[in-house]
Amino acid sequence: MKKISILGLFFVFISTVAIAAEVNIFSARHYDSDIQLYEKFTSKTGIKVNVVSGKSKALEKRILEEGADCIADLYITADAGRLGAAKAKGMLQGGLTSDAIKSAVPKNFRTSHWVGIAKRARIVYFAPERVSSSELMGLTYESLSDPKWKGRLVIRKSNNIYNQSLVASLVKNNGKKATAAWSKGVVSNMARTPKGNDRAQIMAVAAGEADIAVANTYYLALMLSGKKGAEQQEAAKKVKPFFPNQNDRGTHMNISGAGLLKHAPNKANAIKLIEFLLSTEAQEHIVNNTFEYPMIAGVSPHPLVVAMGLDFKQDLNTKVSSYGAKQADALEVMTAAGWK
Amino acid sequence: MKFNFWYFTSLIVSLIVAIPILTIFFSFFESTTNYFEILKNTFLLEYIFNSFILLLGVLILTFILGVGSAYMVSFYNFPGVNFFKWALILSFAVPPYIYAYSLTAFFENYGTAFTILKSLFGEGDYNRSIPKFDGMLGAILSVSFSLFVYVYILTRASFYYQSQNLIELGKNLGFSKLKSFTSIILPSARPAIVAGLSLVAMETLSDFGAVSFFGINTLTTGIYNSWISFDDLAFANQLSFYLLIFIFVLFILENFSRKKARYHSPTKGGFKQKEKINLTGIKSFMIFSTCALILLFSFLFPLSQMLYWTIIFPKNFFDLNFQQLFINTMILVFLSCLTLIIFSFLSNYGNRVSRSKFLSILTTFSISGYAIPGVILAVAFITFIAWFDNTVVDFFELKSIKRIFIGSILGLVLVYFIRFYSLASNGIKSGYEKINRSIDESAYLIGYSKLKTFLNIHVPYLRNSVLLITILISLEIIRELPITLILRPFNFETFATTAYIYASQDLLEAAAVPSLFLIIIASFFILLTSKYILRDRDE
Repeated sequence: MKKISILGLFFVFISTVAIAAEVNIFSARHYDSDIQLYEKFTSKTGIKVNVVSGKSKALEKRILEEGADCIADLYITADAGRLGAAKAKGMLQGGLTSDAIKSAVPKNFRTSHWVGIAKRARIVYFAPERVSSSELMGLTYESLSDPKWKGRLVIRKSNNIYNQSLVASLVKNNGKKATAAWSKGVVSNMARTPKGNDRAQIMAVAAGEADIAVANTYYLALMLSGKKGAEQQEAAKKVKPFFPNQNDRGTHMNISGAGLLKHAPNKANAIKLIEFLLSTEAQEHIVNNTFEYPMIAGVSPHPLVVAMGLDFKQDLNTKVSSYGAKQADALEVMTAAGWK
Repeated sequence: MKFNFWYFTSLIVSLIVAIPILTIFFSFFESTTNYFEILKNTFLLEYIFNSFILLLGVLILTFILGVGSAYMVSFYNFPGVNFFKWALILSFAVPPYIYAYSLTAFFENYGTAFTILKSLFGEGDYNRSIPKFDGMLGAILSVSFSLFVYVYILTRASFYYQSQNLIELGKNLGFSKLKSFTSIILPSARPAIVAGLSLVAMETLSDFGAVSFFGINTLTTGIYNSWISFDDLAFANQLSFYLLIFIFVLFILENFSRKKARYHSPTKGGFKQKEKINLTGIKSFMIFSTCALILLFSFLFPLSQMLYWTIIFPKNFFDLNFQQLFINTMILVFLSCLTLIIFSFLSNYGNRVSRSKFLSILTTFSISGYAIPGVILAVAFITFIAWFDNTVVDFFELKSIKRIFIGSILGLVLVYFIRFYSLASNGIKSGYEKINRSIDESAYLIGYSKLKTFLNIHVPYLRNSVLLITILISLEIIRELPITLILRPFNFETFATTAYIYASQDLLEAAAVPSLFLIIIASFFILLTSKYILRDRDE
C-alpha cells in the first residue's frame, strides 16, 4: 500500500511538471496507428508527443476554458467542420504556412490555422443485386431525395459529424431552403430510423435491409481487409461503392486535420510534427492503417481503396473550410425534417 | 454555535461538493447563442420523453430482475442457491456501456449471433431473423442488467430480516404463495425496494456511455450537447431544471424510504431464522434455470462476448499496455478511496460530537453530488476553475491555478470526491448509527480523549463499513467514464477510457480487451467483498 501511495504522489508531481522537448496533442482521432506514428516522430526528432484523446466538442470546451493556460499545441480531429468551428471560436492561431506544408497540401484542404492530414470521401454504397446501373446513372447527393429511393436508403443520425459536414456542403452549394426540402425527401426515403455507425449502414445494405447507404470510403476497405472478422469481409463483398456527383462538382471530401492552438507553448515542435505527418513515410503509414486517402501526391492509398476506384472527381470547389460555418444550418434543417 | 475544527471540516467538504451545482446555476445567467429557437420545444419534449421512457423501462426491468432473484434465493432451497446468492452480484462488474457494446456485437448484422447460426446450420440469410437490440430497447437492457444488483442486494437483505412470523401469518390466513408474496412479503420489503430503485433511477438518469452509444437523446446528453456543442446555456439551464426535478423527486423518495427502512430492521434477539421452502423436481429445475438465465444474460453474456473477441483478434490483447492501465486505474482508486474515507470520517465524527443541527443539514446538502451526472460535474468543474482563475486568482495577481486542477490527477480525484462523497459519507453514517452514543459517553467517563475514542472504539467498530465502502468506491471508479475522459492528464488512460475510445472509433473488437480486464478486476473486487454485501446477521 505504501508503495502505491508514494507512486501516486510521484504521479501527481510529474503530471504538473513539463518536460523540455515535447508537443502536446488534444486528439479526437484515436487510432493505435497514430500513436505508432508519434513514436516514430519521437525516435526521429527526440520530441516527445503527449496525447489526451476524447470527443471533439468536449476537447474544444476544455481548450476554451483553459484559455492561455492550455498547454496543448495541436487539436487533431477527423472533420473539417470542427476545425473550422475551432478557428471561428478563436481557439487557433495562424502559422501553418511553411513551404513544406504549402507544397504538400492542396489549397482546398488547408488554411493558415489548420491543415488536412488525410482525406476521406462520403459516398453511396449499393447492392448490385437490387440496384441497376441505369438507376444509379448520374446519382448525386441531391438526388437521394428522389422518391424512387423510397424505403431503400439508410444513413446515420443527424447528430453525426460526417453527416453534418455533408449536409453543410449542400447548404453551401444549394442554399438552406433547398437543403431543407432535400432533407425532408431523404427522411421519407429512409428504410429505417437512423441508427448505428457508418459500417452498420453498409451492413444493412449487405443484409438486405436497404438498397443504398451513405458512408465514408474507408469503412468498406476496413471490412474487406478482414480486420473486422470473416463475416464482415464476406458481407462487404455484397456491396459496391458509387461516387456521386461525377457530372458536376464532384464527390464530397472531408479531412482528418490538425489545428495549431492559439496558446501553443511548443509551436515550433507542433509545426515539425505536422510536417512529419505530411511526409511520404507517415502518409504511407496512415493510408495503410486507416484506409484514408493520402493528403500528399505521390503516395498510393491502400490496395483495397485503390480497388474501389481512384479516378473519380473530387469536389474541390466547395472549400472544406466552409463546412464549419454551415454545420449549424445543416443540423437545423435535418432536425426540422425529422431526421433523428 | 461552536466554530471548531469539526465544523470547519464539514463546511469545507460541503462547499467543495457544492461547487458544480453552484456553477451550473450561475453559468445560466450568462449570455447564450440561442440556436434553433423554433425547434427547442420539440427537443425538450423529446429529451423528457426519452428520459422518462428509459427510466420507466429500467425501473420495471430492474424491479422484476432484482426483486425476483432476491425472492428466489431468499425463500427457496434449490440446487446452487448459495452459488447464485453471490454470483448474481457479479453483473455489477459490467458497466452499462460495456453491456451495450456486447449487445451490439452479438445481434448486429453479421454479428456473433450470425456467426453462431452459420456454423450451426450452414450458409443462410439469418440477419433478418436475428432480433436487433439497439436504440431505446438496447439502452434499457444495458442499463437494467448492469444495475438491477442494487435492487437485488437491498431487497435480499430486507427479505432476510423479514420475520418468520409474517410468513406464518400468511399461511395461517390460508394465502396462496402468490397472495403471500403480493400482500405480505412485498409490502414489508417496500422501503428497501424503493431505496434500490431510486439508486437505479439516479444512475440511469446520469448514464452517458450506453445512452450516447445508442444515440438516444436524454436530458443528460441534451444538457451536454446544448452546453458543450452550442454554448446554449439557456437551453441547458432549462433541461437541467427538468433533470433536477426528476432527481429531486428521487432524492426525497430515497431519503424517505431509507428512514422508513429503519423501522423494519430487526430488533436484536427477536430474529428467527426463516425456514426456506425446499424445492424438488420440475419446480426446482425451473427456479434454477431462471437464476441461471439471469446470470447468463447479466454477466456471462457480456463476459463471453468480450472474451470471444479477445480470442479471435489476439493482436489487440498483445497491443494493450495492461500494466500501465492497471497502475493508472489503481492510483485513482487508491487516492480517491483515501480522501473520501478520511473526509467522510471527519465530517461524520464532527456531526456526532458537535451535535449541530446546521452541520447535519450541511452534510445532507453536500451529498447531492451523486445525483448529478458525471459528465455535467466534469464540465461544471472546468468552468468553475476557469472562472475562479480569471476573477479571484487574477485579482490577487497570483499564478494561474488552471494547470493544477484541469488535466491533473488532483483535479480528477477532486471531482470523483464530489461525485462519490455521498456513497462514502452515507456508508460511514449508517455504520455510526449502529454505535450507541452511550458507548462514547462511557469511553469519556473512563478518561478516553475524543481522539482515543475515535481510534480505539469507532474505527474498529466501523471496520466492516469502511471495507464495504472502499470496495464500492473502487468499483465506481474502475467503471467511471465521463469524468475521467474529460479531465484526465496527458498520456493517461484507464481501462474505461481505453475501451470507450476504441468503441467510439468503431473498433469494438479492440475495446473488448480493456473491457474484459475491467470486468475481471471489478469481479475480483466484488468477490473480495461479497461476504460483507451479503452478510446475513448484524455483527
